[in-house]
Amino acid sequence: MDYILQGFKEAINLIMTFDPEVFEIVLISLFVSMTATILASFFIIPLGVYLGINKFRGKRMVSRIIYTSMSIPTVIVGLLVAIILSRRGPLGYLDLMYTPKAMIIAQTLLLIPLVLGLTYSLAKNRGLNIARVAFTLGGSKFDSTVLIIKELKVDIMVNVATAFSRAISEVGAVMIVGGNIKGHTRVITTTISMMNSMGDYPMAIALGIILLIISFLINSFIYSYGQED
Amino acid sequence: MKLDLIDIKKAYGEKTVLDIPQMTIEEGKITGIAGPNGSGKSTLLNIISHIDDTYNGKVKYNGMDFSRDIAKNITYVFQKPYLFRRSVYDNILYPLKLRKLDKKTQENLVKDIMKRLEIENLSNKRGHQLSGGESQKVALARALVFKPHLLLLDEPTSNIDSESVKVMEREIVRFNKEREGTVLIVTHNLDQAQRICDTTIYLDSGRVSN
Ligand SMILES: Nc1ncnc2c1ncn2[C@@H]1O[C@H](COP(=O)(O)OP(=O)(O)O)[C@@H](O)[C@H]1O
Ligand SMILES: [Mg+2]
Repeated sequence: MDYILQGFKEAINLIMTFDPEVFEIVLISLFVSMTATILASFFIIPLGVYLGINKFRGKRMVSRIIYTSMSIPTVIVGLLVAIILSRRGPLGYLDLMYTPKAMIIAQTLLLIPLVLGLTYSLAKNRGLNIARVAFTLGGSKFDSTVLIIKELKVDIMVNVATAFSRAISEVGAVMIVGGNIKGHTRVITTTISMMNSMGDYPMAIALGIILLIISFLINSFIYSYGQED
Repeated sequence: MKLDLIDIKKAYGEKTVLDIPQMTIEEGKITGIAGPNGSGKSTLLNIISHIDDTYNGKVKYNGMDFSRDIAKNITYVFQKPYLFRRSVYDNILYPLKLRKLDKKTQENLVKDIMKRLEIENLSNKRGHQLSGGESQKVALARALVFKPHLLLLDEPTSNIDSESVKVMEREIVRFNKEREGTVLIVTHNLDQAQRICDTTIYLDSGRVSN
């Protein structure tokens, strides 16, 4: 049991001394997952609201597709992106495989259905009421969409944070398309998984603690934001 | 705005909740709609406002079909109004912003309607934190501020103190007299109908009764 305690001690030490390797891994993780979250939120949130409040043909089908793809396994997305980006793939000439860009692409694709589904269901449940008010005051569909995003911004922020949490804690997609290259595509989760298989616990524990702290900070930020009014 | 309803039928599943072969709402009048719970009063307003567009039959607005331009001149205060998560002032400002009026005009119109409805003291309060009665006054202000041609009200004065009822009725009548606005008001209160309505339509199980 001693090695566990020892592992924790060394982990704390790594964090307290701002170990450059740990620091770099955390920064790459944050950069990749934040970028993916932003990219997946930008057009997808208005689209989700728009689809949620409007009637159109095939809406049922669309709902079903959105909801089922929300929980798409990360390795599937990774594999898909890898096939497309690999040297012989359709976008192979871009030479993106095993780069942070490839990881961002994979995580963005992973998050799009999640953000879309969460926003869509939020708009369907709570947005319709707001859309009606906008409509009865002379607003267009565009006005309704903008108004709903403003009115439900706290819930939307919670959804965005949920998406970010999914991105930063997933290992399948970034492992496949990033390749866990030290100093380049190595992120928190791929490192933990590698260190674990090597039996090198201190760094794995240190990164685990940091991952926990990140998600704790996000959630408490959102909670205080939600309490504001 | 004159309304002609022709062969209006609305059903939920097997159940017909509204069946009106013919009805005319006169321009520039205040028309009351009365009837027991579930008789189709709100359904009727939903159809006229086009919030509900899944019905059979036709509604003509000054002889014309529903359009975006007509929508801009109709407003509807719900039984349970929804106020935005922003100040009362900004709530009332919203329809004017949509219409892109100049800033000074917007400000004057909002201040004027708040004064008339005696809600100036609520100006900085957040819309979603008001009491039921306060919300209804603010929702009426938000509806009147852009001077629509047709005002639809669903039990606007239920659960309100008598002083506020007086103020609201006064402003509804003023809107009707000064702006020749057409008003359709659902009310449970027959005294209220007597006080402000030119005519009253009675609904029962989705049909007009006498
Ligand atoms: N979304 C709905 N689904 C099924 N039935 C409904 C729905 N909305 C209203 N109804 C029914 O339609 C009838 C008329 O409702 P409503 O117009 O709200 O009555 P009122 O406003 O006169 O109290 C009621 O019997 C009500 O139960
Ligand atoms: Mg009703």
